[in-house]
Parts: sequence; C-alpha cells; structure tokens
Amino acid sequence: MPENHAIVARDLVKVYPGRGRRPAVRALDGLSFSVPAGRVFGLLGPNGAGKSTTTKILTTLSRPTGGSATVAGHDVAAAPAAVRAAIGYMSQGASTDPLLTARENLEIAARLRGVSAGDARGRAARLLDEFGLAEASTRPVGSFSGGMRRRLDVAAALVHRPRVLFLDEPTTGLDPEARAAMWAEIRRLSGQEALTVVLTTHYMEEADRLADELLLVNKGRVVVQGTPDELKAALHGDSLRVSLIEPDAAAVRAAISRVAGLRDVVIEATGVDGVLAARTDDASAAVGAVIGALDAAGIRFGQVAASHPTLDDVYLHFVGHTFGPSTGSGTGGGSGTGALTEGVAA
Amino acid sequence: MTAIALTTAAPSRAGWFTQAGQVLRRWLIATLRQVWGPVMSLIQPVIWIVLFGQVFHSLGALPQFGPSTGSGTGSYVDYLVPGILMMTVLYSGAWAGTGYIDDINSGVMDQYLTSPVARSAIITGQLVQQLIINLAQSLVVLGIGWLAGARYPGGIGGILVALGVATLLATIFCCASTAVALTARSQIALISLSQLIVLPATFLSTTMMPSDLMPEWVQDVARWNPMTWAVELGRGGLSGTYPDNGWWQVAGLTVLAALAFVWAMRSIRAYQRSV
Repeated sequence: MPENHAIVARDLVKVYPGRGRRPAVRALDGLSFSVPAGRVFGLLGPNGAGKSTTTKILTTLSRPTGGSATVAGHDVAAAPAAVRAAIGYMSQGASTDPLLTARENLEIAARLRGVSAGDARGRAARLLDEFGLAEASTRPVGSFSGGMRRRLDVAAALVHRPRVLFLDEPTTGLDPEARAAMWAEIRRLSGQEALTVVLTTHYMEEADRLADELLLVNKGRVVVQGTPDELKAALHGDSLRVSLIEPDAAAVRAAISRVAGLRDVVIEATGVDGVLAARTDDASAAVGAVIGALDAAGIRFGQVAASHPTLDDVYLHFVGHTFGPSTGSGTGGGSGTGALTEGVAA
Repeated sequence: MTAIALTTAAPSRAGWFTQAGQVLRRWLIATLRQVWGPVMSLIQPVIWIVLFGQVFHSLGALPQFGPSTGSGTGSYVDYLVPGILMMTVLYSGAWAGTGYIDDINSGVMDQYLTSPVARSAIITGQLVQQLIINLAQSLVVLGIGWLAGARYPGGIGGILVALGVATLLATIFCCASTAVALTARSQIALISLSQLIVLPATFLSTTMMPSDLMPEWVQDVARWNPMTWAVELGRGGLSGTYPDNGWWQVAGLTVLAALAFVWAMRSIRAYQRSV
C-alpha cells in the first residue's frame, strides 16, 4: 500500500443476495480507488450508486463479496479490529441513545473505544464546546433538534481521535441553517492534517465546497476521480440552462435541433417543470439562438442562464448523460433523471 | 506531510470488562430515565397474585398442598408466589430483545459494530442490565406475596436460591429474546412469538397447579418444561423443602442458559454478516 494513502480499495464487489421474489442486487461492481491522507474526499453519486455500501465496507460494518480494501494501513477483512480502532463513522442513522444526555453519550462512546475515564470526560467536554453543544450537554439527546443531533453524531465519531472519519450524507434532512453549520464544522475538521475525511453526499454544492478530491460513482462503478477544479476544467466551454414550463420533450428537441453549436443536450421533463441543459463554446450567441428557437416553436420557458461549468454540469455530463437511460439522445428519464433533478435542486 | 496521518497513535483497545461495563452503563441510565416500564410490568404480578390467590383459594384445602400454615389465608398463596415469581421473569425477559430492534432501526447498532468492542461485551452488558431489572422485580414480587399472606420458611438462604433460579431463567429468556430480535428485526414478530411461547410454557408447568391435579399428557409435558424446573426449585427455596431431582433441574437450567447465550452471540454475528 502506498504510504500516503489513507484508503486503498481494489475491485470491490458487493452483492446483496435476493430473498424470495426480490432479486439479488449488485451494489458494487468492481470499484477501485485510493484516498490521499489528510484530505477531504468526496464520494458523489446518485441514490443507489453504491456510496453507502462503499462506506459500510470501509468501516467494517459490511463485508465485500469480492475485492479488498485497506483503511489506515489495515485490511478491512483480515484486521477489522485495527480498522475499527482507527476510524470514526457517522452513518445515515443516529449514533446516540435519545434517553442519555449528550455528555453521557460522548463519554460512553469514548470509553468503549479505549479512552481512559479521565480523558473521556475531558474529550467529551471539549468536543461539546467545539460543536456548540456545551449548553445542551446535560439534556437528553431525544430533545435535540435535527441539526444538533447530527453535530453530536460527528462529535461522537471523533471522541477517540480517529485517523479516518467517515461522514455518510451528513446534511441530508437538515434545514439550510443547520446545513451551513455542519459545513462549517467539516471545513474546520479538514484543517486538521492528521485527519482524513470521507464524505458521502448527493449534494453538488456540498461536494464542491468541502471536498479536496472527488470520486463520482454510478451503478457501483467509478465514473471519474479528480479535484473539483480538474473535473470542471475537463468540460470545455460554458453551460446553458433553460427552465421549461410544461415541456413536451420531443417538441423542445425538434426546436433546439435547429440551433448550431450546442453539445450534450439534456432535456428533463418531470411533471409540470423541466430543464433544458446544454454545453456550448459561445454562450452569448447560443442564448439568443435558443430563445429564438423556443419562441418560434411556441414553447413556454422561464429563466435562461449561461455559466462556467459547475459540478452540476460535471454530474450531468457523466451521470445524467453518458450513463443515463437514453445514452446519446439526451432525453432524460428513469433513475438518472431523478438523481439529476435532486442535484439541480440542491 | 502525509506520513503524519498514519503515525498518529491510535488509542489502545478497552478491556473486555470496561466494554461490557460501558454497555451496561448506557442501558442502566436509559432504564432509570424510563423507569415506568419495569414498574408498570409489576402491575401484572400483583393482579395475578390477588386474582389467582382468590379464584383458586379453595384449592388450598386439597391434600396436595400440604397442611395449612395457619396464617388464615391458606397455603395456596404459598404455593402460588414462586410460580408468579417465575412468570414475571418470563414476561419481562421475553421483551429483552426490543432494545436491539430499536438500536438496529435508529443506527446505534452500526456504531457498536464499527467500534472495537467485543460482540460478547455488547450482549453481556445488555444481559446484565436485564438481570438487574429482573432481580429488582423479583424482590418486589416476593414482597407483594408476603403482603398477600405468603410466608417463606426457607429463610434468607432459600430466598437467595429462589432469586438465583429466577436469574438463571431470566438469562435463558433474555438471550432467546435477543437472538430472535436480532434475527427477526421486528418488534411485532418478537412480541407475537413471545406470546406464543410464554402462555403455554406457564400453563403446561406446575406454576399454578401441582402435577397430580393435571391430565397425564400435561404432566408429561410439564416434567420436561424448564418453567417447571424453575418454579419447583424456587418453591423449594422459599418453603425449605427442595424437590428430589433438584440438582438435575439446576443443571438443566444452567445448560439452557449457556446454550441461549451462545445462540444470542451467533445471532449478533449473523446480523453483521447480513448488513
């Protein structure tokens, strides 16, 4: 294993056996990647892409059907106890008992992971302070707000000073204010050189703001890996987005086909709303041409925007387009569409 | 720069007793914050002792119950209390697994399984909490029995024997409940299954009735029912007159308790394999 990698995964395969009429699910299909130590590593992909399964295997919760992985230098299958001592894991579920206070939960979490009684008290107090929970430290966790509880979950994953911290969708279900607070915490943690953070998310903005390096996964396979800037730079030209009102995908496609210089055209139609996304080398010319073409065809639309590529576009390019159900033609639908819409909304 | 990340010392692993102790601490704090649960479950034995004591009062006149203690209430209450004691253990123990289902649903179980904690410490810590609750409930049942007129000529030693047997029986049922909970992962399945087992186990034993008064097939079943072993040992302790095959019954209960613990351990490992 290269010394500067906190995680190395080779050909990970996970098959969940079918039960009764439910067919077997191949959640991971030969996933290989490595995570440089001391960075924030974003694991990005649509729902069902295999992000959580990857996290479960790397935290020793779940065993891979095939392949191997090392975390902090220890093999997850051969030395799970060593891996467990080196990691903190904030799952999508709760980490704490709602009947216990925040302090009790942290102290017990620390003691279970080998921290001495005196250190556990000090460590719990310091973490409660750092995460802005000192005032609430003697209240049962069941009375906490969603955001407070998620912050406590992160604190609980840090009580034993792990070398690798796994955060599985840390802001899902949080309101914007709580999400901003969580982002601040994760950014603060990323300044600690001795800590590697593996962040699972399906929010583009979150990945863009927090991750030093990104791995885009889809259908249990690696799509692309790189820093956010590298990934964005790989898409040449600008992005064009038009929000559509009660769109007829075929009519939009017909109208747009007359506009020159558009690439990667994706038309989304979910219910009454829709989005037309495309890439172009000359945004100023394309905006006018697209508006003209849509008007001429009598298609109703709202906002028209051109911008430099964002992670949304990277995601769209790799997941919504290349890996979408209708490859090449660009008319979205099915699972790729659902995930894309989520990414856009975030 | 990157080498720093891998040379930071990881904390040493906690000893097994620390692990089990911390698991126990968590469950005990939770119990104290929700003490109405164990308290409410004591209403049942009170009703049983009063109700069955009254309804079956005249049974006390039958020769099978031996000479009356002369306390005026008749000796049926003496006969009944050890039975109610074990019944309380059964009903209480059957619920032991519900905590695991809550933990599986909330995500706390994932935390245990990804921390360097021995699986046996997770099971043992929770089991000890259940046994402590069970011991407190048993003491209350004996107190209620005493108020209802039962007397314990077996003395302190005999009471300790009865409590010890109750603890053995509790171990069997708590571990079985844990195993079922970790396998079925559904409160409804766990509760229906316990109902299915607890009532027949009670009535096909000498909990409320000496075997002479039961049909022969019930006598045959009751002889091999662990509930009968526990009730007769408890009755022996409280009355001071132990059953002839007492040592076999103790051995039987001990073996079952060990098997149930192994079953619970296998279930938690099977649970992790299924994640």
